Amino acid sequence: MSDHPAYFRVLLLFARNSLVRDMTFRANFIIDTISSLAWMGINLAFYVLIFQYTPMLGAGTGWGKYEFFLFLSTTLLINSLVQTLFMANADEFSELIRTGALDFALLKPIDTQFLVSLQRIDWSSLGNLGFGLVLIVYAYSQLGYAPSPVAISLYLGYVLCGVAILYSLMITLAASSVWLGRNQTLYDFWFYITNFSRYPREIYRGKYGDPLRWFFTFLVPVLVVVNVPARFLVRSLRPQTLEDWFLPAFTLFAAVASLAVSRWIFNRALASYRSASS
Amino acid sequence: MTVIEIDGLAKSYRVYQKKEGIWPSIKGLFHREYRTVEAVRGIDLRVDRGEFVAFLGPNGAGKTTTLKLLSGVITPTSGTARVLGHVPWQRENAYRRRFALVMGQKNQLWWDLPANESFRLHQQIYRIERRQFERTRDELTSMLGVRELLSQPVRELSLGERMKMELIAALLHSPEVLFLDEPTIGLDVVAQYNVQNFLRHYQQTRQITILLTSHYMKDVAALCRRVVVISLGRIIYDGSLSGIIDRFGGHKVISLQMSNGQPPDVMARYGQVLAAEPPRIKLRVERSMVPQVLSAILAHCAVEDVSVEDPPLEQVIAEMFTHPNGPGGHADEGERPA
Repeated sequence: MSDHPAYFRVLLLFARNSLVRDMTFRANFIIDTISSLAWMGINLAFYVLIFQYTPMLGAGTGWGKYEFFLFLSTTLLINSLVQTLFMANADEFSELIRTGALDFALLKPIDTQFLVSLQRIDWSSLGNLGFGLVLIVYAYSQLGYAPSPVAISLYLGYVLCGVAILYSLMITLAASSVWLGRNQTLYDFWFYITNFSRYPREIYRGKYGDPLRWFFTFLVPVLVVVNVPARFLVRSLRPQTLEDWFLPAFTLFAAVASLAVSRWIFNRALASYRSASS
Repeated sequence: MTVIEIDGLAKSYRVYQKKEGIWPSIKGLFHREYRTVEAVRGIDLRVDRGEFVAFLGPNGAGKTTTLKLLSGVITPTSGTARVLGHVPWQRENAYRRRFALVMGQKNQLWWDLPANESFRLHQQIYRIERRQFERTRDELTSMLGVRELLSQPVRELSLGERMKMELIAALLHSPEVLFLDEPTIGLDVVAQYNVQNFLRHYQQTRQITILLTSHYMKDVAALCRRVVVISLGRIIYDGSLSGIIDRFGGHKVISLQMSNGQPPDVMARYGQVLAAEPPRIKLRVERSMVPQVLSAILAHCAVEDVSVEDPPLEQVIAEMFTHPNGPGGHADEGERPA
């Protein structure tokens, strides 16, 4: 018998059990889905408004209205994947630590980070994924061209890199509750960070923009999360200069590095875990 | 065969000293005072395969901390422990497949789902072969009489039913070592009795090793031949349950029924009067003094009936907890049952 559980089958059961659970609270599920879709609709309307006043986000950046819709869809895809898979778990991780319920996760013969990160799948966040896909199709229909298979595969690969980077940030923050005792700033943090990641890199220019761009590219690499995959979708924005080629390479590195760092921090957190009263 | 070996195991925590009031709380933001709590202060213990051992001790004695150390949930400050040859806090999968921990105060089943869904998850996590899983599950659910509750959401189960499901979840992978932390807490007498019966039967047929903590003396008396008493993080007794009275019951209770109806007033000089309901009287007498006191009473008073009894076990244990080094003196070395 193998020493490891069948991770994929365990994941399927997590997904299945979560769905059964979500379906038990049907009304809550529907309201959740509708409210996040409505929030996205409002966002989209806001950008439509902005593009009434300008044809492009910054002259010469290449981010016209429909190009930016591709960017926005990418934000949606990545955020919805992270929220579906990890958000509820990371949020609960903090509670597991505070209440001592992490004990049970530590007893199981399975990777604790896997268990803690994926045991609750939030299906209601998947609505935004559909919204994003529809928006991509619409944007291409307006742009009048279709992405090549190579562009699509690169795009999907970099979407996964983006998910990995955001997940690492999230689990690191959640793990810090071992030392802080309690950490309920997760949703706030998520909002701040994704706030920076949801605009094209090109707008971070000038006296204040340059340091911000540098910081959020190399130290907390959230700026590459959406930007790098999104550029593969836009024909006019494919990598041309040296920097354009450097960024995708760096993103691969950043994804692997942040996963490694977050795993290290996670394990340190488990070693410091002290459980709670009986 | 020795299954659990513990040497000098110790665990201390640093606890933030929170003071009452607003101003001290604000000061606490900048400068914190910590106190070191020594939950376990050097425990040595050997447990053989097939033993059913009870951990007794007041709240905060270190019982749960010891179980958590042995489960690898927390790491010790110093000392060593091996369970089935594994160091628990290395959290190897090979070890985690072979033991289980049940905590009466916490639940691990998915709250909104039927217990069976959680069981299936365990089946995958522990890689239990399907037919074996179904056989074990059906056997356990019928033994505990919860078979028809398998598809009911856990949140709709009673506390007793839920506890039984928790036990089943912990036993699905047929652990060789089982740690039970107050498994009957909050249960009514019937449910308590059922769980006890089940545990005794299960342990006897499978010959697994069990460590149990409980505040119910009935659990302990019904299940465990060996009792380890922990107080202030140290083992102060290790032996049979009845041995506790021999060692720590420093006195006996003499009950008298006087034939002339009225007990003489002088009784107080023979011992502490516990109850006086003429013609009956109860005296508390130092154990070593019992023969002299008895003969003195019989010589001077008209006695119709007499009995000498040990004080109730609960009382002895309560006294032992209040004076850990009490009448038994240096009590670190206890006798082991044969």
